[in-house]
Amino acid sequence: MASALEQFVNNVRTLSAQGNFRELCEMLNKSTEVLMKNGQHLDNVLETLDLQQHSLGVLAVLCVKFSLPALATTPDHHELLFAQAQEFIIGCNGEQVRFAPDTYAELCHLLTHSLVELKLPLRGIDLMRRAIRKIQLFDSQLTSIHADLCQLCLLAKCFKPALEFLNTDITSISQEGGQFDAKYFLLYYYYGGMIYTALKNYDRALYFFEVAITTPAMAVSHVMLEAYKKYILVSLILHGKVLNIPKYTSQVVGRFIKPLSQAYHDLATAYTTNNSDELRTTINKYQESFARDSNTGLTKQVIASLYKKNIQRLTKTFLTLSLSDVASRVQLSGPGEAEKYILNMIEDGEIFATINQKDGMVIFHDDPEKYNSPAMLRRLEEEMAVCTDLDRKVQSMEEDIMVNPQFVKKSCGTQDDDIPPATTQGTKITTYSM
Amino acid sequence: MVTDSESIRKLAEDLEKQELDAPGGIPPSQVYAQLLAIYLYQNDLCNAKYLWKRIPQNVKSSHSELNSIWKVGQKMWLRDFPGVYAALNTEWSENVSQIMQALQESVRKRAIHLVAQAYSSIKLDDLTQFLGLPSEQAAQAAIEQGWQMDAGLMVKPCSPPSEPYQVTSREEQLYKLTEFVSFLEN
Repeated sequence: MASALEQFVNNVRTLSAQGNFRELCEMLNKSTEVLMKNGQHLDNVLETLDLQQHSLGVLAVLCVKFSLPALATTPDHHELLFAQAQEFIIGCNGEQVRFAPDTYAELCHLLTHSLVELKLPLRGIDLMRRAIRKIQLFDSQLTSIHADLCQLCLLAKCFKPALEFLNTDITSISQEGGQFDAKYFLLYYYYGGMIYTALKNYDRALYFFEVAITTPAMAVSHVMLEAYKKYILVSLILHGKVLNIPKYTSQVVGRFIKPLSQAYHDLATAYTTNNSDELRTTINKYQESFARDSNTGLTKQVIASLYKKNIQRLTKTFLTLSLSDVASRVQLSGPGEAEKYILNMIEDGEIFATINQKDGMVIFHDDPEKYNSPAMLRRLEEEMAVCTDLDRKVQSMEEDIMVNPQFVKKSCGTQDDDIPPATTQGTKITTYSM
Repeated sequence: MVTDSESIRKLAEDLEKQELDAPGGIPPSQVYAQLLAIYLYQNDLCNAKYLWKRIPQNVKSSHSELNSIWKVGQKMWLRDFPGVYAALNTEWSENVSQIMQALQESVRKRAIHLVAQAYSSIKLDDLTQFLGLPSEQAAQAAIEQGWQMDAGLMVKPCSPPSEPYQVTSREEQLYKLTEFVSFLEN
């Protein structure tokens, strides 16, 4: 037994010294079983390996240590394991571990899982941040560890550390062992949406949920289902209606996910009547299912948003209105509450109005923005810069696809099968296929 | 400790880091207290709320000041200005007193701005509620803002003039325009 381990250590040393990391990875993948059998000696193995020089070997051993059946689930054991993983993530050789990004991600998933089990999510946040930064090739690359970070942040109720990642739009997905599990992609966008919702950044939250539900899919994913439910609620809070789902959404959503979220559709229908009492009745009716999905808090915000929407609708009809009229039209308890709502909305910039307490009237104004100020020009310039940047990215991605052998082969293939290519077909494609 | 917003932001970052690095995930209660106060000062109520939620129960019960800070936060969440002033009106420990002082000033500034924006006339009583000051001082503050008062104890706020914007140089604008046109052309 010990000889098998010795051989393992020797192999790791020689292959690392030769810089033959590809072969080393293969060897490591095969030796999981050997390591599993020798679970109790793994700490000795770790001692013989150097963190910098034999990062891949250490990684494999740690991964096995995490997946070992918990023989000694003492706090000490976890503490040691956590310390070892921490040391590894901080001290490992980034160049080397990039040869085994799948194992690296696996280690992070296992670590996250154990922290969640131990109910110590806060401790992992900083470590996951470092882990992502270490393995990423550039800032806007998505790794499956992103989902772990978001999960820890949600559980710890500490969102700020995740924001620097969430605020960066993803332009590329890291290749982890040739494939990236869709689960982590969906989870990242679902958790991210939840974090933005919690921080009341509904605009961004809606975008994250949209990405989650428009992911191409052949089967129903629970993550997608939950994202869809939250999409409806956030959409109501932000826009006062459910936005149409983009055309490129997978058919799965219409066929299976919609029927599964009947309560939410009824809620949206009740919302369109603009009648707060009716909305309340519907919410009470489905209270149980909302509570099961832990969306009760969001439904409460939906109610509040209907009051606001109704006040906003008044501004379209009236120039001045007494506070008591506002209260009765919006079904608020009295002029006092109406004043409070209007005041809050003015502060948030949701309506433009002035209250005249002398006459008990509200005067509604038009949006004072005349779109002629230097500030607006600057904003326009900034938005244009963003668009230009996006266009550049899309173009470079398109170029990448154009020279992708698989794509070229496929586009040639279809030309053979189809009727002779029409002249309208993109000139670029024909050039490449020649 | 200084109280301009830039240095407070730096302090907050430092405290956030201390919380994440704390052994066992639980930093000293002073860290929590300062961070909570800073979030309130920044009017970042969401983060304040979740910070409060993640403070362990035993820390909350052993450090009573945390509760008083959060009471201010609760009132801010409800936008109950009189409540905020009432909750602010306690003895703060040295740890947070400067931040709480700055918080009170910023709340008052916010209230003045809101009144100016939202009311064309307001009862003096209501104004004192908003400002958390005795009525003579509130009246004084209103006059300082250039607001008119009439005999019926009505104050007529007027909106503050909009702030002047920094104008970018013409050359820079020309450069941006060139870039934009060249983008459209290609």
